[in-house]
Amino acid sequence: MVENIVETDVLVVGGGLAGCFAAIKAKEKGVDVTLVDKGYVSSTGQSPFAGSTMVFNPEWGHKLEDWMNQVVTIGEYLNNREWAEIAFKDSYSRYHDLVSYGVKFLKEGGEPDRPVHRSPHPFGAVSEVVHWYPNFPQVLRKKVTASGVKIMDRIMITDLLKQDGKVVGAVSISIDNLDLYIFKAKATVISAGSGGFKTLGYPISELTGDGHAMAYRVGAEITGKEFLDTHSTTADCTGYRSGPRPFLSDVRNFLKSRLRGKVGDPLGINAEGGKILRRGQSWPMWLELEVEAHAGRAPVFRMSREGEKTDRKMVGGAAEGMSTHAADGIWPINTKCASTIPGLYAAGDSLGTMWIGAIYSGFGFASMWAQTTGARAGVGAAEYALQAEKPTMDEEELVRLKEIAHAPLKRKGGFGPRWVTQVLRNLMIPYFVCRIKHEERLQAALTLVEFFRDHLVPKLYAKDSHELRLAHETKNMVLNAEMKLRASLFRTESRGDHYREDYPRRIDPAWLAWVMLKEEHGEMKLWKEPIPKEWWPDLSKSYEEIYPVRFPGE
Amino acid sequence: MKKYIPSGFQESNKEEVIIVTVEINPELCDGCGICVNSCPTDVIRMDEESKKAIIKYLEECMLCELCSFHCPTKAIAVTPVKTAPLMVSWG
Repeated sequence: MVENIVETDVLVVGGGLAGCFAAIKAKEKGVDVTLVDKGYVSSTGQSPFAGSTMVFNPEWGHKLEDWMNQVVTIGEYLNNREWAEIAFKDSYSRYHDLVSYGVKFLKEGGEPDRPVHRSPHPFGAVSEVVHWYPNFPQVLRKKVTASGVKIMDRIMITDLLKQDGKVVGAVSISIDNLDLYIFKAKATVISAGSGGFKTLGYPISELTGDGHAMAYRVGAEITGKEFLDTHSTTADCTGYRSGPRPFLSDVRNFLKSRLRGKVGDPLGINAEGGKILRRGQSWPMWLELEVEAHAGRAPVFRMSREGEKTDRKMVGGAAEGMSTHAADGIWPINTKCASTIPGLYAAGDSLGTMWIGAIYSGFGFASMWAQTTGARAGVGAAEYALQAEKPTMDEEELVRLKEIAHAPLKRKGGFGPRWVTQVLRNLMIPYFVCRIKHEERLQAALTLVEFFRDHLVPKLYAKDSHELRLAHETKNMVLNAEMKLRASLFRTESRGDHYREDYPRRIDPAWLAWVMLKEEHGEMKLWKEPIPKEWWPDLSKSYEEIYPVRFPGE
Repeated sequence: MKKYIPSGFQESNKEEVIIVTVEINPELCDGCGICVNSCPTDVIRMDEESKKAIIKYLEECMLCELCSFHCPTKAIAVTPVKTAPLMVSWG
């Protein structure tokens, strides 16, 4: 075993869209930047599967008010409007950055002043989706390298190092050998995505919530864990699952075939021949499908355009356990993406502002969010590093974290990480825990997750460096599962894609609030962060007027 | 090459139901290593002896197809089917 010490001004954890932007923008400020990824920068996280982005530009006729209305009505008023505005307003500059880095966009129509392919957004005529070529992560990697950023691939950060209340670096493992890497950094940006539970055949298996977990362990505040991802795999539309090559055409077909339409349009036919109607404007299918299953009326068959039953089965969401894009994550204290812990910044899906609200409201918003917050976090971290002193390290803490990093390898036996992941998945993914929530079932799942945390995780065993990575991922997923269950129990209402069978209505103004959590004295503490009153809906209107989408049971 | 046979299929039907989640054709592989880096879950490694890419940790394959997408010699085939291998707690 070799122990490597790497000193840098800014350490960026995770090399997707957000991490690449953070690294490039930090480097432009004249500091040393190191970008670390547990995979390979350009082939990591959700970015290789992102088909589009969004660009807000008043010169193209976009109106901020229209965009804001779209995300706020779909997001059911949980939106952090300050951050929504930041993302929209920064997006045009980031689009220009991408063009200058050499990212190619699909051209259709060929308008000289608007040289991008665009299509009307399926959830509102006011927005646009801008499609890029699937090689954009490779183009970004080239730009990162050319900027002078040091890239370190196939290294997984296991824990952040804290000294005197500040984050001053990180401990990490190699997935190729038994080496340890100690990073001494003045500032650290977490851009490691959000968290999901590994599912078979869904290409975000490595999205194990590592960033949220390591931030939680140093005391950072986290928000938004009760909300769910809205992406899907259906039996006849492979969507995400098809990889980058057929992705663009799939997305277009998906948009054309599935997402257009209005509330009340038929979606499918259940096993008893009953029609299932479109409930909402956004991704509406998963709760409807799970309700059919819950009532014993599965499977559900897709309908033809003529309204006839076909033999094509619809299946539930495949990214169960993943959180809503651009919602949950590490809570910022300023618009430079600084977390509540000095020296720690977050970007992309690792940054939790709840700007998108209670449900993800459109294609391209996550990519836009990754670029805009990546750039801000990079600049913020660089400015912090420029005035920070050279970090010193608490040797005792370093020894403790190094032991944790290699502990699964040193055990003579224990539980395999694959098995623990599989049983965690089987516990968290079923519809009656993940989609149709109820206090009794959430509590039952939490009891088991606590057992995982206290009994299985401390005995995780790895035979080689590959399994060592799996063991750390499993540990992080168990922590993310606890966050999701506790946040889901805490929000005693239904809103967006958080549905409580025992509380099937939005409750205003009590739940015009975000759910926050952090570690305090070894316990997970949760509390409400009220939404500023000026962002509330007009409560003098009727409930049905404010919320056109009905929940089952309402 | 690893091949999985879904449980429940009769012995006599095995020939027709063999499912190859991902495989690399050693005849076509030129050992460039691009697939090793393209795999987000560390399924593929280089074989020290043959200097060609091999499927080392098939269990982690998530069918994302990034390896076959980036392979310059089209040596990799990914099928859209994956079966869950049996896992035991002391695995």
